[in-house]
Amino acid sequence: MTGATLYSVSAALSALLLGAVASILPAPVSGWLTSADVVTGLAVLIFSAILLVASMINTIMLIWFERKMLGRFMDRRGAMHVGYAGLLQNFADGLKLFRKNTFRPQEADSLGFYAGPTAYMVTSMILFGVLPISTGWSSGALPLSLLLALAIFSFAPLFIFVSAWSSNNKYSLIGGMRSAAQMIAYEVPILLAVVAVVIVSGSFDLNVIVNEQQNYWFWFPLLLALIVFVAGMLAEMERIPFDLPEAEAELVEGWNTEYGGMLFAFFMLADYVRALIGSILVVLLFLGGWTMPSWVPAAATSFPLAGIFWFMIKTYAVFGLFVWIRASLPRVRTDQLLRVGWNRMIPLALLSIVLAAVLVTVRCLPFLGCVPPVGG
Amino acid sequence: MWINMGPQHPMTHGLWNLRVRIEGEIIEEVDPEMGYLHRGIEKISEDRHYNEVITLMDRTCYVAGLAWEHLYIIAAEQALHLEPPERAQYIRTLSDELQRIASHLMWYAAFVQDIGLMTPFLYAMRDRDLVLDLFQSYTGARMTYEYNRVGGVRNDLPTGFTDRTRKVMDWIYARFVDYDHLCLDSDIFHRRCDGIGVLSARDCVDWGVTGPMLRSAGVRRDLRKDRPYAAYDRVEFDVAVADGADVTARYLVRMEEMRQAVRIVRQTLDWLDKNPGPVLADRLPRWLGAPYAPVGREGYLLKRNFPTGRGFSSVEEPHGEAQAYVVNTGGEHPYRVKFRSPVFANIAAAQKYLPGYRVADIPPIMGSVDICVGEVDR
Amino acid sequence: MAASAPKENPTNPLSGVVRPLATAARQFTKSLIRPSTIVYPYERLEDPKFRGKVAVASGRPIGVGDVWDNYRGVHALNIATCISCNLCAFSCPDICIEMVSVAGDDPKHPKKCPQIDYGKCSYCGFCSDACPEGCLTMTTRYELAVTKRAEMVYSPERLHEVFQRKLPMNPIRLERPANEDAILLDAPLCIGCNACARDCPTKCITMLDVPKPTARPGEKLPRRIWKEPVVNDSDCVRCGTCISVCPKECLFWGTHK
Repeated sequence: MTGATLYSVSAALSALLLGAVASILPAPVSGWLTSADVVTGLAVLIFSAILLVASMINTIMLIWFERKMLGRFMDRRGAMHVGYAGLLQNFADGLKLFRKNTFRPQEADSLGFYAGPTAYMVTSMILFGVLPISTGWSSGALPLSLLLALAIFSFAPLFIFVSAWSSNNKYSLIGGMRSAAQMIAYEVPILLAVVAVVIVSGSFDLNVIVNEQQNYWFWFPLLLALIVFVAGMLAEMERIPFDLPEAEAELVEGWNTEYGGMLFAFFMLADYVRALIGSILVVLLFLGGWTMPSWVPAAATSFPLAGIFWFMIKTYAVFGLFVWIRASLPRVRTDQLLRVGWNRMIPLALLSIVLAAVLVTVRCLPFLGCVPPVGG
Repeated sequence: MWINMGPQHPMTHGLWNLRVRIEGEIIEEVDPEMGYLHRGIEKISEDRHYNEVITLMDRTCYVAGLAWEHLYIIAAEQALHLEPPERAQYIRTLSDELQRIASHLMWYAAFVQDIGLMTPFLYAMRDRDLVLDLFQSYTGARMTYEYNRVGGVRNDLPTGFTDRTRKVMDWIYARFVDYDHLCLDSDIFHRRCDGIGVLSARDCVDWGVTGPMLRSAGVRRDLRKDRPYAAYDRVEFDVAVADGADVTARYLVRMEEMRQAVRIVRQTLDWLDKNPGPVLADRLPRWLGAPYAPVGREGYLLKRNFPTGRGFSSVEEPHGEAQAYVVNTGGEHPYRVKFRSPVFANIAAAQKYLPGYRVADIPPIMGSVDICVGEVDR
Repeated sequence: MAASAPKENPTNPLSGVVRPLATAARQFTKSLIRPSTIVYPYERLEDPKFRGKVAVASGRPIGVGDVWDNYRGVHALNIATCISCNLCAFSCPDICIEMVSVAGDDPKHPKKCPQIDYGKCSYCGFCSDACPEGCLTMTTRYELAVTKRAEMVYSPERLHEVFQRKLPMNPIRLERPANEDAILLDAPLCIGCNACARDCPTKCITMLDVPKPTARPGEKLPRRIWKEPVVNDSDCVRCGTCISVCPKECLFWGTHK
């Protein structure tokens, strides 16, 4: 896999395709088609198409994974009729939602009602272009990719609130308010926990952060930051125990009460996209990304696509943790959630920054070796 | 801002409407509206033979059918001057307690889902299914049992029933630990449920609130002890009482009641093993002898001066104290049947125990009431 | 005496999270291989493999197949032994049973058998309890999904088909009460018209001659046939058909003196 990146593959594919098309066309058109700009443009399109398809399939598989795993926690089976062990059930569900009529309440605000879910979906999908899944996955090294990812990630409350408000429904409005309050409250501890990682790794570039974890993964020295980050991610993803914006017991479906058909599917899918991205971020920041510790036999890490393989294993394991938490804990109340967010999480995150600073100063940990010099 | 929680809302567990006036997230005023599920069961009963009313009782409260059958049957037997055999009394006690377990498990399932837990919901439904299997093995149905008859019960227990029931009771008794681990040992559960929905003993009495809600306020009131019916004076059990009068206290009372129900079931099984006998009184009027409904010519009973009578019963059903009143004027149908539903009073008191808490507290509080709208509206 | 005292609020919030997580994880490991769900269209509760077995899965500590024997499902009707006594229709609380003529019988005296509308039926079992010949029974069949409402009405022939499948049937038969009423005759009213004996489904009524009294001077004898019904109580199923067909209301329920 060394050398070949996803972008180089798609560039080669683009050149091949355009060359084939150009060979049967007259000279001026074929000359334009094979020019570098057009080839690059098509390469970008192919690149994003591959990215989109891969991430969508992964998201839908994630839903299947959650349904099956939640089923086992609850002593039942989960989806099992469509496809082997229900693997195609979510595609069938998506197809059903796609065929359904999407209607809008008469008094709802048209622009916000349609734009909200679309923007929510789009901003969630964009994130996949930022995150490096493996070496050579992303198009280039973004020096601030972590910051960019978190910035895009935090667009969500705005769009949720817009779509909730424009639904003209009391449940939606309450749900949207809760959602906005909750997400804003938990942005802060997440960012602070990330600062701890940045202090230790010395970079905002996710590639660098992963490479810094060659010696040891960050979860052990930065356990406190990990806990804050996971709890904050649970709130950002709006999963139990922090799913109160869509607490179905009191708010019907929360901010997506009035949505049906494909618009609901957008929300549903975007929720899982965000769950996937949350898991990926945990893996990237704390669990070493696509790297494996040195005691793992070389055969397990050197086969083709080994990086992506291990990365997906870790991602699904992290998501499994989220499912486990969902299966065991009840939902908290809004005021309790906000109190925990502002009163507990932020001090803990600040403490983890202090610990990270100490770690960087001390440089070396027993059994784990030494931190490379900052910026290295 | 007024919010209509219902008639179609995940919180309601049935068909009723809770109108809530909120200020921010704080509840200012509530207004429960019932009556969406009224089927006129009392009126229909006046047009049916005494035994045929039993089919309605299973539909009055669809999670505690046998308890409601028992309630009606006691009143009807009083009105008709009949005495069921002792074995039937024990079978009814057994049925009541199995029903109590099933109903409380159903409550538990609904309640934990209200506070956002799906897992114990399925555990409780799974274990309730075993109790329903038992019902199916001796009544022939899983929900609409039609098992009691005026003057006894329809049939005796099948062979092997007592052993199977013992196994199920052992299994379920062991599962209660899991339930407590998932709820009572959970920090978030206590954060959600402690100290909300408080209804003091004084208010309980004023509003006619009965059952586990009353006992959770520290009042030791249980009709099975205070006015024993069936075989309750011959079995040993404790009244489950807790103090605190909040949601957690109601949870504790119901869990303890399930444990006591297992205890009662084991005692009745022992008795039933040792004492075979008839389950249906043999001196029945012709038209009450179980199979024979038709009566031929109108009004012939009046000619024959069948004795008139009135029957009143009150039974500690899983939701609270239910009461029934049956008037027999000598005809083949009851002249009047009247029921008192405990849940009606328990819901009506929402005006007392909801205001002051938050919107997010409504599901756990109303969940802890154990609502069965079928019996509220009848 | 009282319930166990309310458990203390877990002082350590960590243990308050770990306990539920551990419980869920334990169930996860238990149901990893075989959850306790019975996968309905592929497996059924009444399958022989569940019968008498203990602990087929984590949630099923008993042999679930055993509970199936008394189940009140779709009726089975044995047309051959049905005596058209109407008791099932009488006893139905939902009035979903109608007595209809069975095809291919003597057109002059068609045999009437129950037809059941499963759109109304509540499966209470009163009809099979009432059936004196045991020809209408409830079986363990429970799958009745149809696409048209008319298909919910089961004619006697369809019920007979169910019977011919020899499904397990509800084994419980009720005993008749010891002090049953009998059909009594108010003799002075009777005109000997034979209606009761003609319509009796069990043919337990025979018309016996009564001596024609000699009219005293000035007395006018009633115009009637000098026969009277006598009911064989041991054959009588107490269906009341004779009472309802009697034109003079001279038959009634009562106890033998």
